[in-house]
Amino acid sequence: MTQTIEASFLTKTYQVSEREGGFAAAVGGFFKRKFKDVHAVQGVSFKIEPGEVVGFLGPNGAGKTTTLKMLSGLLHPTSGQARVLGFTPWERKHDYLRAMTLVMGQRSRLSWDIPAADSFLLNQAIYRLEDAQFKQTLKELDDLLELSPLMKKPVRNLSLGERMKVELAAGLLHRPRVLFLDEPTIGLDITAQAHIREFLKEYNRRTGATVLLTSHYMADVTALCERVILIHHGRLKYDGSLNDLSHRIAPFKLIGVALGSPCPCDLSLYGTPVASDGDDEEQAGSKQYVQVPAAQAAAITARMLADLPIHDLTIEDPPIEDVIERAFAE
Amino acid sequence: MHTLNLLKAFFKVNLQMALAYRVDTLVNILLEVFTLGWELLALNIIFSNTPMLGGWNLGELVTLLGVFHLVNALMNILIWPNTEKFNRAVRDGTLDYTLLQPAGSMFLVTFSSMVIWRVWDLALGLVLMVVGVNLSGVQAGPLQLASFLLLAVTGSLILYSLWIVMIAATFWFTKFDNNVTILQALLDTGRYPSSVYPLWLRTIITFIVPIAVATTVPVQALRGELGFWQVLLFVAISAASFFLATLVWKAGIKKYSGASS
Amino acid sequence: MSLLNIYLRFWQVNWAEQWQYRANLLMYLFYWLVSPVVYLSVWVSIANSQGSVRGLTANDFITYYLTLLIVDQLTSEITIHLIAYNIQDGTLAGELLRPVHPIFTRAVIDNLAFKALNLMAFVPIWAVLFGLFRPDYAGVTPGSVLLALPAVVLGFALNFLMGATVTCMAFWTTRVYSVSQFINLVVILLSGQFVPLQLMPPIVQQTAQFLPFQMLRYVPIEIILNRLPLQDVWVDYAVSLAWLVILFFIFRRAWAEGTKHFSSVGA
Repeated sequence: MTQTIEASFLTKTYQVSEREGGFAAAVGGFFKRKFKDVHAVQGVSFKIEPGEVVGFLGPNGAGKTTTLKMLSGLLHPTSGQARVLGFTPWERKHDYLRAMTLVMGQRSRLSWDIPAADSFLLNQAIYRLEDAQFKQTLKELDDLLELSPLMKKPVRNLSLGERMKVELAAGLLHRPRVLFLDEPTIGLDITAQAHIREFLKEYNRRTGATVLLTSHYMADVTALCERVILIHHGRLKYDGSLNDLSHRIAPFKLIGVALGSPCPCDLSLYGTPVASDGDDEEQAGSKQYVQVPAAQAAAITARMLADLPIHDLTIEDPPIEDVIERAFAE
Repeated sequence: MHTLNLLKAFFKVNLQMALAYRVDTLVNILLEVFTLGWELLALNIIFSNTPMLGGWNLGELVTLLGVFHLVNALMNILIWPNTEKFNRAVRDGTLDYTLLQPAGSMFLVTFSSMVIWRVWDLALGLVLMVVGVNLSGVQAGPLQLASFLLLAVTGSLILYSLWIVMIAATFWFTKFDNNVTILQALLDTGRYPSSVYPLWLRTIITFIVPIAVATTVPVQALRGELGFWQVLLFVAISAASFFLATLVWKAGIKKYSGASS
Repeated sequence: MSLLNIYLRFWQVNWAEQWQYRANLLMYLFYWLVSPVVYLSVWVSIANSQGSVRGLTANDFITYYLTLLIVDQLTSEITIHLIAYNIQDGTLAGELLRPVHPIFTRAVIDNLAFKALNLMAFVPIWAVLFGLFRPDYAGVTPGSVLLALPAVVLGFALNFLMGATVTCMAFWTTRVYSVSQFINLVVILLSGQFVPLQLMPPIVQQTAQFLPFQMLRYVPIEIILNRLPLQDVWVDYAVSLAWLVILFFIFRRAWAEGTKHFSSVGA
């Protein structure tokens, strides 16, 4: 068994009760519940080698987090199998739990009122870490994350970026061989995101730990992962190198313009107009979008600036949902 | 042992949290003293109107109050704070972290939160028990004392087991935030001997939410009312209920992680 | 918009909110009625063992505590649970900018809505207790109940003002709930919630006559049970009305000082 992580036809189906709004439906729902099957994950299979850094990409609700929960051991699949480090994750054997870690960007494991240093000591007791090794690991993490100024402050008083650093450190004190990271950079500013990515890269390089991270930021994946797995509607849509994926999706950008004064301008001269969310009636002030090939974005922008009475202009990545929808229209 | 280490670690963390709020701790202790005064005043009012309550004299009531404080200490130090923490963890998903820690989840859920300053309630309970026994005029031999202490501990264990089952109920009935309210509500009945209550209430607090088993029964042992077999029976029930509680907990965890069986 | 409309709107909103938490309500009711049942059991047990306690028979205790349950439901108030956290997390600021007084509109209405909701669940529960304890309400007449109505209203008004004043402590301390607990322990003794005032030490009884607390429970209960001579009733009413005025001014002052402090210090 050379693979670190092996998933075979992992499937997870939930049953949720359905109910419409309104008083009559509420009364009806009291007597008879209607259930609907939600196929969160459908037959996902892949193999990950030791030391790989793999990105799980997909829009919200795609099934990434559910898959991650099954691999980390939190959820039993409806069907299918998985082996991580030779263990069946959802048996949650203590030896398995000592060799892996799960860090969720949206949920904190640390106690808010006390300094991170004290939470670390608690983790030392929980994971039964020898003093010498614990101190050594802490020092290494400190070097990589610059933890020293953060350790003595109550976690409550740290900024979001600082909090993420100590969260990661807390999750790595026991030197796990497998890291499951769920949206580790969510909500962070650009600098903080960059720091976290650098850290993870370096950590992987130094320790050879296998990293599986989910994100809906393309940037996370581009920075860290050579291999990406794309999940959408619970199904595995793509599993391969990032380079190949980039070639498959014609890269494009969205140029958003807010026109200074109403003008009978035809934006289709510059690219493919995209329907905006806002009020289409108000021309002046509302943003309109055109989609252009990424390589030509700068040039087209220059043309638009020269030609049009532009009040405000942005260049954005298209939402990942669009990217995936278009690339894998089914 | 690792369990002891872990307990020490939890204790340290919670102590630090308490020390961070010094003024709070002081006010709490003041309130506790005042409450004790109130409790003793209430006993005084009762016994200025009668020499016996349910067949028990003032000293025995004070002893009972001491045992009640012991049980209350368990509730305040561990049970209520960890109920809050557990309910929150289920709601916001941080229970996941607990499940992935390489230690028993029931242990972690029981001890991760401790209200340290309430240890004083334990001390108070012991003092009241000593004073009460002396006041009561009961001639308690070593056997009676031993069974009294044993039943106090096993009685609390039964209540602990009930608590585990109550919070485990959340795994099946997810919106059930008031899981422990019945326990909290009926706890006050433990201040008085179960013989004063009408039959239906006595039945509830002996067999369903066994507050009386943790409070009245130990003092009954002290008074020499319980034979060897009865004491043994209570100990056996305590062990059985703990065992049952761990089964229910394990089943609950399985349900939470979506196991089909 | 007339004041009545404002009250109606508050009522609608609050009712909808509270309906969501109705399971909590049942639990809360259950929790609240254990203490009186415990005290009832204690005193009935004593009365049964010696025939009577200072002239009160077992049935007297049963009728007292069962009536206490009703009166308590009617005169209790929860202002601190409505307002204190608004003060502590600063959200009161929004209400202070509105042209209505948060205490005399929202707090009053929320209290009444809570009461109404509680009473719906309370009635069947009380009926069960009635069946379990079998009180003999021979002394009660429609007249005595009518005579007690102003007492109940007065009791609520006094309780409300006291609760509102204690809530003002939240402007200065985070330990407002502890202050409330502290005061509550005293009130339980002086309002006749622990035991009918006839059984308290004489000095306590005499002091209680000059304090507003007895109107919260003891006086209305005794009026209903026809156990208070009429002239005592008038005296008690007079004392309570005086307290109503005094407490009103105390509250007004506390609120004014508190809001001033609140606005200068910020959230």
